Amino acid sequence: MDNPQGKSDRLAIWIAVLTALVSLTTALAAWRTAALGSTAGDLIYQGMLNAVKKQAGANEDWRQAYQEAGYARDYLVFLNGLLVRENSTDPATQEQAAQLRTYLLPGMKSLATSLGTNPSYYTTGGLLNVQKRFNDLEKQSSDLSSLDPQAFFSQSDNYYTEQRWLVVGTILIAVSLFWLGLSQLSHLRPRVLILVLGIIVYGVGLVWCLGVEVIFFFLRGGVL
Amino acid sequence: MNPSRNSNPERGKTLVLLLTLLNMVLVATISALQVDVTVRSNQANRDSQYYAIQVTGSLVQTGAQSEFDLNTYSKWLADTQQSLVAGYSALQRHSANDQAGYERLTFESLIYQAQAEQAKTLSVLLTDPAYAPASDQASPNVSAYYSDINADSVALVQKQNDASDAYHRWNNKSDSYVAVLTVLAIAFFLLGVAQMSQPNIRLLFSAFATGVISIGFIWALIILIF
Repeated sequence: MDNPQGKSDRLAIWIAVLTALVSLTTALAAWRTAALGSTAGDLIYQGMLNAVKKQAGANEDWRQAYQEAGYARDYLVFLNGLLVRENSTDPATQEQAAQLRTYLLPGMKSLATSLGTNPSYYTTGGLLNVQKRFNDLEKQSSDLSSLDPQAFFSQSDNYYTEQRWLVVGTILIAVSLFWLGLSQLSHLRPRVLILVLGIIVYGVGLVWCLGVEVIFFFLRGGVL
Repeated sequence: MNPSRNSNPERGKTLVLLLTLLNMVLVATISALQVDVTVRSNQANRDSQYYAIQVTGSLVQTGAQSEFDLNTYSKWLADTQQSLVAGYSALQRHSANDQAGYERLTFESLIYQAQAEQAKTLSVLLTDPAYAPASDQASPNVSAYYSDINADSVALVQKQNDASDAYHRWNNKSDSYVAVLTVLAIAFFLLGVAQMSQPNIRLLFSAFATGVISIGFIWALIILIF
């Protein structure tokens, strides 16, 4: 039969083992919490890069759309003047109009393509539909326009939310460490009670952390 | 004076343990709050930068749009003026009995007029009732036009400013919580010293630690509320 001193020594060993285990778990939980914040930060960085690329592509498409609109306007305005020249009864003016149509107009028309020559690029009010041209240019540069920064931001929000919940579990585990330490210093009678309290807090913290991990693992579609 | 109380080396240790537990709960709570405000700060910073990128895009678009619309209006104005000048000159030549000059200038006026008509159909400043001049002598409402095309950019700048302000607010809170945690770390140190000291000194260190914990607690409350 063991004496009280022997019991106390054995308990102290178990408390020491538990303390080491809880310390390890605390370190792991703290690492995971920090890693989640880091992953969320990386996703924001990636989303921001995509936002810059996407906006740069859109800027270029707007510039091109309005440049084409300018060429289309010049072409259409010139064409209207040319039609008047062609309707002249003066042979010299008719000859001039023919020369303009042969040598000048094709160059202007090629620059005005597509806005100035494709009727689908007119609004019902007769204005040039630059927005439609922009949309078409965006479709052509789909490698940039299809980038979705918001998707990365949503993912980062998901990681941040998990981080918030995991901090709660980490704190519980850290608090259990205090109780285990306290039980090591205490006398035999309250020692077991404090130890049990520490184990319960640790268990709750551990289950909390594992639960948070599992829930968010499934919420992200199987991604840690 | 009770000599047995003074000679008890364990005196005050329970108090120190309770204070340590209280400090630990405070540290845990403030750590959680610090993580939360850091996350909010990061998200607001992200939003601020994202809106800034969108503002640049919006300004590029409105810049190109206004350049096109004003050039189209300018083209209409120039052709209209040229048509009027040619027509007026034709009348002058007619008064001077110059029939050939009259016909040439009249025809030139027609060409400019046709060009002006086409430019007008392409100009939002001349066709949109919101901006079109009320009469031939009036000018289009350019200020309303600018106000409309810049509305999106202005709204985005407002959002960007709000997000930027939120970022600074949360970031300041985060920094303040770190300062509180540092204060509470000092309390941990004082409690550790108290635990190792003689009973009388232990109580003194416990009192110091209580003061430090109180400062940290009140500071944390102020950060939380304001």
